[in-house]
Amino acid sequence: METIIIKKAPEITNPEMETVYKHSFPRVARFVKDMGGSFDDARDIFHDALVLFIEARSKNEFVLQTSEGAYILGISKHLWSRRNKKGVNSVYFSDMDKEMTVPSDYYPSVENQRLLRFLKASGKKCLDLLRSFYYQPSNLKELATTLGYPNEHAASVQKYKCLVKIRESIKQRSLMYEDFLK
Amino acid sequence: MKTFLNNALLIEQYLQEKLSTGDRLLFEARMIVNPALRKDLNYQKKVYSLIRDYHRQLLKADIEAIHTKLFNDARNLEFRHTIEQIFKAV
Repeated sequence: METIIIKKAPEITNPEMETVYKHSFPRVARFVKDMGGSFDDARDIFHDALVLFIEARSKNEFVLQTSEGAYILGISKHLWSRRNKKGVNSVYFSDMDKEMTVPSDYYPSVENQRLLRFLKASGKKCLDLLRSFYYQPSNLKELATTLGYPNEHAASVQKYKCLVKIRESIKQRSLMYEDFLK
Repeated sequence: MKTFLNNALLIEQYLQEKLSTGDRLLFEARMIVNPALRKDLNYQKKVYSLIRDYHRQLLKADIEAIHTKLFNDARNLEFRHTIEQIFKAV
């Protein structure tokens, strides 16, 4: 199999995502079915694997030593295995699969879930702005307009304000929580 | 506020390993004498992890929308049929 090196792949578009979905889901569905899983299990595992694939291809240099479909299947196997530690059927990992990893913090901690709920209710604008800066830079111009900033530069200045605002907000919440526990 | 902003910028550059060796050592020395700076750094790391979780959440919502479209759009009947066949009880 040819080694494909994708250098900082552009952000995935919805039509591209749809194509990957159509090509890769059947393979993952067959794997999950063979492992004794349901349609819903397959959908959940596949969606997480797709998130991890999109994340990996947005890194500076993503070396894809296999096809996109095989990569997504490999990640799905790891996700399945993590979810079903006591599963009856053991998962077969090829050498290529073994090289793939799922970040240990992929599933958000209870604390992060709680903080995110709070931030979505109190500062969604800042969350959206920071998300664009770190994960969707090409969307920044459009977002700046949507959020009411005159241009990208104004949005850039706002970035650090948002960073500090959220940081201080978390700090206050943590202190309150500590007081509550005392 | 300006001091806060500079401190956020500096922390970001430190975490992204964008500081020169001299600036990095200076920053690390400042963290030793100023525990509040170390705390800010930890809280800022938390912000980055929350933004990443938020991004993943929205990405999953986009994927979920594609799923709904593929399974409800008449143009994708063949795809839907393939998946249904896989889970059909034997």
